[in-house]
Amino acid sequence: MTDNETKSSVRGDRDLANAQDIIVCEGVSKWFGDFQALNNVSATIKEQEVVVVLGPSGSGKSTWIRCINRLEQHQEGRIMVDGVELSNDLRNIEKVRSEVGMVFQMFNLFPHLTVRDNISLAPIWVRKKPRAEAEEQASSLLERVGIPEQADKFPGQLSGGQQQRVAIARALAMEPKIMLFDEPTSALDPEMIKEVLDVMKELALSGMTMMVVTHEMGFAKEVADKIMFMEGGQIVETGTPEHFFTNPTEERTKLFLSQIL
Amino acid sequence: MQSPAEEKSSTLKAVSQRVPLWRDVVVIKWVTQLGLLAVVVTSLWFLAGQAGDNLQARNINTGFDFLERPPDIQLSEGIDTSPATGGRALWVGMVNTLRMAVVGIVFATFLGVIVGLARLSNNWLIKRLAGLWIETLRNVPLLVQMIFYFAVLTALPRVSLESGPIHGWFHVSNKGISMPRVFISDGFYQWITVVAVGCIAAYFLKKQREKKHDLTGENTHAASWAFLTVCTFAIIGIFVHPIFSFVGEIFAALATLFENIPATLIKILISSILIFFAARWIRNFFASRRSATGHLSLIDDDIFRMVFVGTGALIAIIVVISWTGISSWILHSGRDLFQMLEAKFEVDGAARPFDAMKPDIVKPGKFANYGKNGLTMGPGFAAVFFGVVFYTSAFVAEIIRGGILAVPKGQIEAGNAVGLSRSQSLRHIVLPQAIRIILPPMGNQYLNLTKNTSLAIAVGYSDIVQVGQTVYNQTGKSLPVMAIWMLFYLTCSLTISVIVNYYNVRMKIVER
Amino acid sequence: MNSANSTSQDQFSSDSLTDVSKNELPPKVAALSPTEWLKANLFSNTFNSILTVISTAAILLIIRGLLSFIFNPLRQWSATATNMRLLMTQAYPEHQYARIWVSLGFLLFLTGISLAFWRAGRSVQLSQVGKRLLALGAFILLATLLAPFSNKATIIWLIIGIFIVGIGFLLKPSHEDKTVSSLTLLSGAFLLAILSLWVIPYGHHSYLSTRTPKILAEPGTVAMTTKLPWTIMFVVAMCSYFLGSFIREKIDETRSKAVLSATWLISPLFLLFLVLRDPDFDTGHLLSTDIPIFLFFSIVGSVLLLWLTRPDIGEKGRVISAAILFVGFATFLFQMLMIVRILTLVLAFFALAAPTFSGQKPARIRYTKVWIASMVILCWLITAINTPSTAKVPGDFFIGGFAITLMIFFFTMVLAFPLGVLLALARTSKFPIFRIISTTFIEFIRGVPLITILIFFSVMVPLFLPDGMDLTEIAAVTIAFIIFEAAYLAENVRGGLQSVTRGQHEAAEAVGMTNAQKTFFIVLPQALRVAIPPMVGQIIATFKETGLLAIIGIFDFLYIARSVIPGQTQYMGSTRENLLFVSLVYLVICFAMSKASQRVEKRVGLGER
Ligand SMILES: Nc1ncnc2c1ncn2[C@@H]1O[C@H](COP(=O)(O)OP(=O)(O)OP(=O)(O)O)[C@@H](O)[C@H]1O
Ligand SMILES: [Mg+2]
Repeated sequence: MTDNETKSSVRGDRDLANAQDIIVCEGVSKWFGDFQALNNVSATIKEQEVVVVLGPSGSGKSTWIRCINRLEQHQEGRIMVDGVELSNDLRNIEKVRSEVGMVFQMFNLFPHLTVRDNISLAPIWVRKKPRAEAEEQASSLLERVGIPEQADKFPGQLSGGQQQRVAIARALAMEPKIMLFDEPTSALDPEMIKEVLDVMKELALSGMTMMVVTHEMGFAKEVADKIMFMEGGQIVETGTPEHFFTNPTEERTKLFLSQIL
Repeated sequence: MQSPAEEKSSTLKAVSQRVPLWRDVVVIKWVTQLGLLAVVVTSLWFLAGQAGDNLQARNINTGFDFLERPPDIQLSEGIDTSPATGGRALWVGMVNTLRMAVVGIVFATFLGVIVGLARLSNNWLIKRLAGLWIETLRNVPLLVQMIFYFAVLTALPRVSLESGPIHGWFHVSNKGISMPRVFISDGFYQWITVVAVGCIAAYFLKKQREKKHDLTGENTHAASWAFLTVCTFAIIGIFVHPIFSFVGEIFAALATLFENIPATLIKILISSILIFFAARWIRNFFASRRSATGHLSLIDDDIFRMVFVGTGALIAIIVVISWTGISSWILHSGRDLFQMLEAKFEVDGAARPFDAMKPDIVKPGKFANYGKNGLTMGPGFAAVFFGVVFYTSAFVAEIIRGGILAVPKGQIEAGNAVGLSRSQSLRHIVLPQAIRIILPPMGNQYLNLTKNTSLAIAVGYSDIVQVGQTVYNQTGKSLPVMAIWMLFYLTCSLTISVIVNYYNVRMKIVER
Repeated sequence: MNSANSTSQDQFSSDSLTDVSKNELPPKVAALSPTEWLKANLFSNTFNSILTVISTAAILLIIRGLLSFIFNPLRQWSATATNMRLLMTQAYPEHQYARIWVSLGFLLFLTGISLAFWRAGRSVQLSQVGKRLLALGAFILLATLLAPFSNKATIIWLIIGIFIVGIGFLLKPSHEDKTVSSLTLLSGAFLLAILSLWVIPYGHHSYLSTRTPKILAEPGTVAMTTKLPWTIMFVVAMCSYFLGSFIREKIDETRSKAVLSATWLISPLFLLFLVLRDPDFDTGHLLSTDIPIFLFFSIVGSVLLLWLTRPDIGEKGRVISAAILFVGFATFLFQMLMIVRILTLVLAFFALAAPTFSGQKPARIRYTKVWIASMVILCWLITAINTPSTAKVPGDFFIGGFAITLMIFFFTMVLAFPLGVLLALARTSKFPIFRIISTTFIEFIRGVPLITILIFFSVMVPLFLPDGMDLTEIAAVTIAFIIFEAAYLAENVRGGLQSVTRGQHEAAEAVGMTNAQKTFFIVLPQALRVAIPPMVGQIIATFKETGLLAIIGIFDFLYIARSVIPGQTQYMGSTRENLLFVSLVYLVICFAMSKASQRVEKRVGLGER
């Protein structure tokens, strides 16, 4: 944990050492029928921390991240998000969902709504904001992700990179404390990846707590405070980027890195 | 790394508490469902109770005894025009419906394929004619068409002893259309046994030839051999079929067996089959939810499924055991079936499998009429027949056209490129692909056609609905008759969809 | 048959098929010379030539047969003409007929405005129009030669044919850029038809079914009571179109489109139960029961809904709405006015939906307004239906004939759609019991023919009703139709629901929407768009199925044509003529609907991508 201090120069005035735990997973397990996708996953993520989750395909990264906002339901163990435990309690699920934003690999924008409506729909009906205020917020968010001029287009008329940035804006519109990214750049052409990563970096700098599943090692090295490596539904190794990329302890991590780098 | 997490775990425990019931998603989920179930069941219960009271107040009883009683009904056509019991009358209606459905499906498919291909023809005139046919017929309600055909048919000239157009062979008049017929004669069942034996032989022969082909690579003409075998058996069968009259004795023995089995045995048999299947299902279900490490994780839906299957099996068993009627009905119909088959085989050697007759016209009293010899389509039958065939053919044609157009152009070009002629590439390349697209909507059309035959009631053809209506007008048993209708049509629909699904699945496998 | 003969052939048949295949006309036929075209399309090889010759002969024979059937002096076309009023509205009292015209006028008014607002119609090239007219003229000429006309009629028809051919020739060489709106063409055609009512001596027909029926069939133009209202109708339609195109620039278009759609949904109810049925309201009963009930529900409901739509209401709201729903169902166990039960249930559904639409003050007030509006409509409708009508007609319903066909069709569509959507949602829901119930229901209904359901409802419904409640046969049958259509629509909607990807569900959940919000804002809009084409097909099928009313003895269009008119002593053998008329009406309507839907489909498809 001490390595985090070195990062803080890059990442502005954050005090990760004294930060609150915002996501706590403890012994989380999950089965699909007879297949165990998560096996006793335990981890803690602090406020304002940027965590990158790595791992081979099918290792349960998506499943884990989706458990955190209850798109999947874990069967054993506990997940606490910002002091709220994810259980069958309806109130808790609603609270967690509105505090955790999520960005998907395939963007999943609503094709029948304009970009502006895509962003302002949830603030209006879930956060119960007045329409004018929500649309103003949508405009400023589009400004922030760099595409203010696309507000009245439909998602089908945008490029992949623009769509993913709209998706980020849509998640931000709910003013979440935590953002989850599930391979946000893997459906994009190389020249579009950068524009999305730039938005994500800006977000990280602004102090957002982020959990990112990605295969972009550059992003991981530059931005991550912590890297978790998963395999077979388990977290095999956790550490800072320096530690992780230079001298990983586990054999499996080494193997993975040798394949990917 | 570990210590903060451990620390947290104690706070975790402190935070976690019991979820109040009205906030628990699982509770809400099941309360909602059970609530809806309760509303549905109570309303049905309430309606049924109301119906029971009303029926009692009006002194109507709803038993099925009318099936055994003689009705006072004359049917216009069918296997038995003056049935002895109500049940027999309904049976005649069912046979008429099925007859119409089968004949209609065959002809509608045939006509529809022709029109559909004509729609794609490169002859401009033919293409437009097919288009006119489709657009007119599918935009006029079937019922209007049927009634119109009926009105046209009944406005034809009266039948007389000299009716034409080809006297003695083909008659058209206000009594319908009469033509020569080929029919199944007494020796048919024995003959078909011979053919069945032939089929078995052909199957083994084909397998053997195929094996030889696989081993040696020479062309063994397996299919032709099989076909020839069946034909040979069919021809020989015409002369030797009386040797199979002993089969009748087997059926007789089976009939006596069914007569003597006690109903309890059937009950036990059915119950054990049910228990066996339910138990097997639950065992497999557990196996599919148990992970490699032996961990069993069940979510609420899984538990519901097991409860559902268990209760379903239990209810079925209770019904079978407490309702002796079912078991004895199975026994009786088994007995009747075998007795009937026995009777079919009890014919002497001279009988022919098939026979043919020319149509005739008789004049028993003042008016002439068709005799019993010909294949006569009464105006009712003809109206329904032309109605469903023309109407459905328009839809079938559109399906065929859509299916063929859906095959990419490149496929035909590829066929041309390897030197196939237009008809060859149609047969070997386009059709196999088109069939996969065509089949599901065709099944739907067949279902519709079968259901549409029920409009026969408007033109007085004795199908199940028309006969049923006559029966309940006479006996007042509307509820049971309607139950029989629904059961009958549901069975038909289910059968057709099972057949279509079977072919669909087979087509999908071929695709791989 | 030589090739010269076939030239005239192809022209006439081109016409008889023009409307069939407007969209599929080969794009550039003009590039080929006539002989080349013939060779390519009719005589490309021996087989094709044989086909062409045979089908030409067949077409000639069929046309000749048809014409000699239609123009046979034995045909009783006057059976249809004298009974037109019976066919359209059955025995609706003649002195109140203005009501019918008012209703029709209002619907035409709406049609005109809607056509203007949705910018219906497309531009047609004048040269294309010329071609069509040429073909039509040629067909008329050919038919005249084949038909067994008297000399005078032949000459008249020949003149008409030549006239049309002439116009066609004039228009055909027009430049490609010269176009005309299809709406203009259509209204021109209608104008000609209306003018002909004033000019051409169709004859003056009417049938009065008094004790000794009075038949009127005089020569001359049609009766004033026919041509005047139709002229007014035409003027109304035209004026409303121009009005519509004038005001559509001035006002917010999306909003007025929504208002128009709502008017389309609601106005038939008003026309039917207020204008046509003319209820004889009883002021005493109104003041003592109906208005108090209305006031109670709208006030109590408004207060409740205002509270329930507060953003911070949480699960308290759900518990309370569930309680109201329970009360709503429990009301059926006690003796009380049906209207109270219905309104309680409606209130419960509004309460259940409240959290979905909750929000700041404007949103809450909007929701309450919707509630009050639905109360007004519901209370008024129920009261109107329960009040005796002033229109005194034989039989138990105030209208029949084509009007009842349309009425049942309308009710079926309006009520079967929401029911179908609900069934489809239940069938695809995550709740297994919902799935089981819905699937059983849908598959049962789809497995049996409509006629058995209709008979079941018309015969059995009295048996299932508690004492003191009764349902007219028309209502029972309409319910049967609704249930039947809902099952089929549900399958169409289900197709649409399945086309919405899992990612859409997840995205909606991830931004914190509740299940209801997700369904309403994300899933249904996408699913319904996909389901439009099959649903339109189903709607056309429903329209055709309305004919089944005749089987269960309701005095609809078909029943009157088939049984009532041939029952009049003068028109004993006129069934075929009447049925041809009925077929023509159904054909025109269904054909127009399917063509219109194809165009709408294309437009929706274009807007999408
Ligand atoms: N709904 C599901 N039903 C059954 N199995 C599933 C389901 N979702 C995921 N799995 C399985 O769970 C395992 C983990 O899946 P997950 O999507 O979490 O992997 P991942 O690490 O995200 O892989 P990738 O890098 O390819 O996205 C996989 O083996 C997958 O097949
Ligand atoms: Mg993944």
